[in-house]
Amino acid sequence: MKFGDQLRFVRQNMKRNKTRLFMTVLATAMGCAFLTVLASVGFGLQQSMVEEITGDRLVTEITIYGKNPDKFDTQGIQNGDIDYFQSLPNVKAVTYRNYIQQYMDPSIDGNPVNVNQRIGMDFEAEKQAGFGLSAGRLPEGNNEIVIGYHIREVMDEEGRPSSELPAASEWVGETMTLQVSYYEDGELAKKPLETVIVGVAEQPTKEWNRDRNIYMGEEMLTQIEAITGTQLGELPYFEVAPTKEQVQKLIEQLPKPTGERQYQDVTVVAENASKVKGIAEKIREQGYFNHSIADELKQVNMLFTIMKIGLIFVGTIAVLIASIGIFNTMTMAVTERAQDIGIMKAIGAHPSVIRRVFLLESSLIGLFGAIIGTLVSYAISFAVNAGLPIMIEVLMEETLPADFKFSVIPPYLAALTCVIALGVALISGQRPARRATRIDVLSALRREV
Amino acid sequence: MITMMGISHQFKIGKKGKERIVPVLHDIDLSVEKGEIVAIVGRSGSGKSTLLNLMSGYIRPTAGEITVAGRMVTKLDEGAWADFRLAHYGFIFQNFQLISSMTAYENVELPLVLKGVGQSERRKRVEKMLENVDIAAFASHYPSELSGGQQQRVSVARSLVLEPPIVLADEPSGSLDSENEKSLLTMIKQLNHELGITFVIITHDDQVASVAHRTIRLQDGRLARQAPLVSVESIKETFDLAKGGHHS
Repeated sequence: MKFGDQLRFVRQNMKRNKTRLFMTVLATAMGCAFLTVLASVGFGLQQSMVEEITGDRLVTEITIYGKNPDKFDTQGIQNGDIDYFQSLPNVKAVTYRNYIQQYMDPSIDGNPVNVNQRIGMDFEAEKQAGFGLSAGRLPEGNNEIVIGYHIREVMDEEGRPSSELPAASEWVGETMTLQVSYYEDGELAKKPLETVIVGVAEQPTKEWNRDRNIYMGEEMLTQIEAITGTQLGELPYFEVAPTKEQVQKLIEQLPKPTGERQYQDVTVVAENASKVKGIAEKIREQGYFNHSIADELKQVNMLFTIMKIGLIFVGTIAVLIASIGIFNTMTMAVTERAQDIGIMKAIGAHPSVIRRVFLLESSLIGLFGAIIGTLVSYAISFAVNAGLPIMIEVLMEETLPADFKFSVIPPYLAALTCVIALGVALISGQRPARRATRIDVLSALRREV
Repeated sequence: MITMMGISHQFKIGKKGKERIVPVLHDIDLSVEKGEIVAIVGRSGSGKSTLLNLMSGYIRPTAGEITVAGRMVTKLDEGAWADFRLAHYGFIFQNFQLISSMTAYENVELPLVLKGVGQSERRKRVEKMLENVDIAAFASHYPSELSGGQQQRVSVARSLVLEPPIVLADEPSGSLDSENEKSLLTMIKQLNHELGITFVIITHDDQVASVAHRTIRLQDGRLARQAPLVSVESIKETFDLAKGGHHS
C-alpha cells in the first residue's frame, strides 16, 4: 500500500470523529505549549544573564591583569609581554589602554568639555579587535582623536545625566584643544595641543555605561610625554606651592618616557570563541594572570543547562499526560473500526499495513499538536516578554533592563518539542496499532468485535 | 488448484481450564480443479464454513495439509497468508462485508490499493469492473444507500478487481431475493466461463448448487458424497450450448 493511500485512509478515518480528534490534538498542543514555554524561561533567563555578564565585552577577549611574581621580576605588562601575546597562534589582536595621568582641560572653541578618561591606545590593534564607531573614522594622523558617545552629555544639579543627549557626531571635524600641564623651572605651565575629532565611539550596549572618554593614538601620547617629561604625562602633586628643588626631585622619581612602559587594561583577542580556552591556558602556564568571559560563562551555562534539562523534563510530563489522550483516541478508533479492519484483513491486507496506518494516524495527531503547540508557545513567549516587564514596573515598581527577556524559544527547542511529541505519539499508538493487527478476521466478519 | 489432504479441525470451547474440544472436520481429502465451480453443501454445523475458512487461511487446520496453486499454505504465517490471499483469492460474503464509510467505488478499489496499484490504473480497472457488474451508476453511493442485490454486485466487483484465479464465496445468495440470486448465479457462470475463474461456493441452496460442476456434501464434518456427475469439460460444453440459445 502506497504512502499516499495510507494518508488518504488516515484522513478518511480522522473525519469520522472530528470532535474527539480536535480534543486530542488540543490536549497534545497544550502539552507541547507547556513544555516549550517552560523550557523557554530557562533559555530566556540564560540569555539575559549571559548578556548581563558579558556586557560590552566580547567572548573572544582574554583580560590580562598581571604577572606571577614567582616567574617575573616585574608585575606590569611591558613591551616584551605584548610582543609575546602577539606571537601566539590564533591571536587576532592585543589591545591596551594607557590612561593619561592629567586632565588636560579639553575645550572646543574655548568651551570646556566634560570628559572622563583620556586614553592612549594602539588603533591598529583596536581596528582588528573590532573597536566600534558610531560616526567618523579611526585616527590616521598624529593629532587626530576619537571621542566617546556620551561626551556631550550634560549633568543636572544632582549629577544625573539629562534626558537630552546632543549627537556627538556633530563634533566630527571640530578641533579640540588640550592643555598639557608641565613644570618649567619649578613653575606649572600649560601648553595647548590642537587635536581634530575624526570619530565617535559606538554607544555601549549597557545603558548604564556612559562613554565620555577621549581616545588618542601612540603618537599623541608621545607628544604629551615629551612635554611633561614623564610617562603618561604624570605630574607630581603638591598641596602647597613647591620649590623648584621639590618639583625637580619628585619629577626625577617618576618614570621617564624613555623607560620601560607599563601597559594597562591589556586584552588578548582570540580569532574565535573556541580558541579562547587554549590561549588562556597557555598564557596562564607562562605566568600571566588572566581572565576570560568564557570562565564565567562556563559556570553560568552549566547551571542553566541543568535548569533547562529539569524544565524540559517537567514539560515532557505534560506531553506524556497528553499521550494518554492519544492512546485513548487510538484505542477507541481501533474498536470502532474493528469490523473494517477485519474486512481488510479478510481480503488480504498485510498486518504491517494496518499497523502503519494506525501509527501514521497517531503520529499525525502528535505532529498537529506539536505544530499548534509551538505556534501558541511563540505567541505566549512574545506576550510574556512584552507584558511582564510592564506588570513588574506597575506592580513592583522595579525597572528591568531594556533588553531583558523572560522567554526565548530557539529553533532547536521548537524542533525538540516536535520530536518529543512525535515520539510520545508514536509510543502511544503502538499498543492500539498492535491490537488492530491482532483483530480476528472471523470475529470481525461476524460483527463480534 | 486447491488440494486438501487429511484435514481435521477441532475447536476448543469453554473457559480456560474447563475447555472442551469439539471436533468439526474429520480427515477430509478433496481437490478443486482449475476452472471448476465447486459447491460445498451440508446442513448447519456440518463444517462447510470451517472448510472454507481453512481454505482462506482465516484458521489453521489441527491436522492435514492444504496446497493452493501449487503452494503449501498450511504453515504460512499471518503476513504471508495476507499476501497470498491478495494474490490468489477473491471473496464474496453472505453479508457482503463492504466497508460502510467507503463508497461503492472505494470498496471495489480497496484490493488494488492494498496491492499498491497506481491511481490511473486503479481508476481504469475499477470503472471497468463496476460496468461489468452493472453498478457503475451507483459508484459514489455508500453501502447504506444500496439495495442488497446492488451491495452484492459491489462485493463481486471487489472480489474480481484483481482478477484472482480463485473466488471463495460463503453463502453468496444468502441475503438476496430470488431475482438477485438468479442474476448473481448468471454472473458466476459467466465469469467462470469467460475468465476461467475457479469458484468454491458454500451454500445450502439447491439452486446455487445447481450451477456447480461438482457438489461436495459434508455431513457431521465428513465428506458424504463427492459427485463429479459429469466432467468439467462436458459441463462447459453444455454451458456453451445453453448460451447459444438453449436453457440449461
